[in-house]
Amino acid sequence: MARKSFRRMIAKRLINVILTVFGIMILNFCLIHFMPGDPINNVIPRTSKFDPALKWELKEKFHLNASLPEQLGWYLYNTMTLDWGTSYSLSARPVFDIIMTDLRWTLLLVGISTVFTILMGMAIGAYSAYRRGGAFDITATSTSLFFYGMPTFWFAMILQVSFTQPLFGMDWWPQLPSSGYYDTDRLGSELKFSWPILFSVMKHLILPSLTLAIGFLAGVSLMMRSALIDTMTDDYILTARAKGLTDYQVLRHHALPNGMPPMVALIAMDIAFVLGGAYQVEYVFNYPGIGYRTIAAIGDLDFPILQFIVVIGGVAVVVANFIADMVLMYIDPRIKIS
Amino acid sequence: MGTKQFTGTSGEASATVHLTGPTRLERDRRRTRPARFALALATAAFLSVLLISLAPVACQDESHVVSVAVVQDEPVADAGENLTVLAGEKFVLNGSGSTGIDLNYTWSVYYESRTKTYYGMVVELSFPKPGGSEANLTVTDSLNRTSWDEIDIVINEPPKTFLEKYLTTILFAGILGGIALYLVIVVVLRLRSGQPIVSVSRREKIQLASRRYLVIIKKVLRNPMGLLGVLVLTFFALLAIFGPLITPYDVKDQDPTQSMLLPSKEYWLGTDAYGIDIFSELLYGARTSMLVGTVSAVIASVLGAAVGLYSGYVGGWKDEVVMRLNDVVLSIPWLVLMIIVAAFVGKIDLTGIILIIGLTGWSYTARMVRAQVLSVKERQYVERARAIGSSEMNIIRRHIFPNTFPLIFANTILTVAVSILSESTLSFLGMRPVNEVTWGTMLSFASEASAFQTGRQWWIIAPGLCIVTVVLGFTLLGYALDEILNPKLRRR
Repeated sequence: MARKSFRRMIAKRLINVILTVFGIMILNFCLIHFMPGDPINNVIPRTSKFDPALKWELKEKFHLNASLPEQLGWYLYNTMTLDWGTSYSLSARPVFDIIMTDLRWTLLLVGISTVFTILMGMAIGAYSAYRRGGAFDITATSTSLFFYGMPTFWFAMILQVSFTQPLFGMDWWPQLPSSGYYDTDRLGSELKFSWPILFSVMKHLILPSLTLAIGFLAGVSLMMRSALIDTMTDDYILTARAKGLTDYQVLRHHALPNGMPPMVALIAMDIAFVLGGAYQVEYVFNYPGIGYRTIAAIGDLDFPILQFIVVIGGVAVVVANFIADMVLMYIDPRIKIS
Repeated sequence: MGTKQFTGTSGEASATVHLTGPTRLERDRRRTRPARFALALATAAFLSVLLISLAPVACQDESHVVSVAVVQDEPVADAGENLTVLAGEKFVLNGSGSTGIDLNYTWSVYYESRTKTYYGMVVELSFPKPGGSEANLTVTDSLNRTSWDEIDIVINEPPKTFLEKYLTTILFAGILGGIALYLVIVVVLRLRSGQPIVSVSRREKIQLASRRYLVIIKKVLRNPMGLLGVLVLTFFALLAIFGPLITPYDVKDQDPTQSMLLPSKEYWLGTDAYGIDIFSELLYGARTSMLVGTVSAVIASVLGAAVGLYSGYVGGWKDEVVMRLNDVVLSIPWLVLMIIVAAFVGKIDLTGIILIIGLTGWSYTARMVRAQVLSVKERQYVERARAIGSSEMNIIRRHIFPNTFPLIFANTILTVAVSILSESTLSFLGMRPVNEVTWGTMLSFASEASAFQTGRQWWIIAPGLCIVTVVLGFTLLGYALDEILNPKLRRR
């Protein structure tokens, strides 16, 4: 019985995921196709080598003469078959290749800067809530609020400039690379596995991931703190105290298990914000990930890249939420289907 | 009219009771009907003004400039944005080259199924009839290398009638008139029925409400986070109101001879590329940044609250549809969504940026309000209201909304912080409102001028610190309000 309802619950979530992904694709299609201007004008290279008469042939090729529903059909079909067309601006490279290459770097950046910070943020938040109003709590919370309210790109710029020149004339101040993903001048532009390249990649990751990590750390610890404080006011905590448990026992066995579920959902929802932050960080540090590509694509009005980046980002968030739901179901048996 | 029939059957006898004359309820209703009508009228007028002011309006300037950039050593025509002009209106197509290369300009303009060719950089045109048209610009340099680009020109019919031309004015007058009419009707009705203008119960209600607000304000001020937030925000609110009056220099006043100066006694933070004093811009930016933040947060909250109330209250498949749509909006990374909407809008002014942030930021509020409505809906007083026959609208207005309002209010304050951040990010990434000074546009220009590398670090640090402080102020106030208004309402 229980097993059946559990299976149905997962099925319903899965249907929701599929519907949402479809929604993202259709919204995306509408946004891009109702943009002012004729999309074909962005396909045509604006140089003398191009014969304007080819315009009609190209229109035919991209199905731009078809009716809107037909175009939507083509778009959905192409998305499903991973035939994402070719970029307008990058000498006609396939979009799929471009996005997959960039995605690796973004995943590396986001991965490195979130995995440890989630744990650290939770620890800081939990301790703040545990010693609520104490010196640690006040320091941690105000620092977190300060970093949380900071524009990511601004913080990135500040960090960038702080580590590229000796700060206040201090000679021992560490100098870190502040642009690009590894030292292509010294190590060659071909990316292959070797220790110097790996070392260089790591070194180039420090500043971007630090920027992202500090902002995310602040967010997670604030969320953890308020989630725990919420649970700390519940009746069963009072009961636990009345039973004579120590503060630590209350925290470990009563508050934490109950404060966890909302955290999982909140962190999953925060993925969208982390992606937004990653965009800014990549832009400032010239880090060749998805965000950097997006902003370049907007400048070039490179719609094929743009529309699949939106789909990728959306799918990432949807999948993260789905996983969070699954985790929630696993750790919180009370969850009912909403 | 005014007759109530109660029919009951018991055994074989049936009785009908007639109550003649208007019941008290009906008397009340009849008395307030004109007032309600006036209120509805005023609301309708207000909504239509909103709709009209949101609708795209044709440009009414007299000239339009299409500039053509020539980049690299080879000419690359880039005609830029499409045009919307009024029929009969004169406008200028201006293909100005930005490098020293000698270029030949050819405009071929397609209009009314004919193509005319014009030679020369600057072409003055006017189209007598409404319709669509295309202008194609070709540039050729001395080595016969060519490049071309085209723009669409939409020609709108000029407003003909008085009504069309002065629609906004008339509607605004209508709103004010409607409100005045409403007040007059209410006062006259009260006077005629011999009631005091403000009834005792209403006065007591107002007193109670104001006392409650006073208590909340006191609590906020006693909360250290709230107090700090209020202090910070008061300072910046004063700056927003009086800042533009006390600026040492005019921020619209460009002075190329004084451009890119380092900080000095005259210019505390130096000047930017147009010779505008940066300190003045900083003071001025408080107004625009706070304006963008608050207005777009209010738009987002109103939209989110409406969507959340609706979908939470109606439930069922409508709720499912709305929530799936909401998921879609929530899933697309906010920055990308905003950038795409910005590209959609095209040329952005302050209203544009407010709309972009407001229209993309409602989904989180909607989700939260919906969750709250779902829990309020099941409470006993709602059931009671339904049992005594309150209408749906009434239940939402009298019971559901007041019980979600604290949540919405605290969330709006937090949204302001997010909106200010969004504005600065959009500006930094190049989607900045034209001819406006906000802290975001300052940062954007500063980074373009590589301020850090040229010893103008305050150009970047100062606006950033302002943003951080204001955002901190709103966040602190929002958290404090959240703690006070919704002690156990939400898990955050």
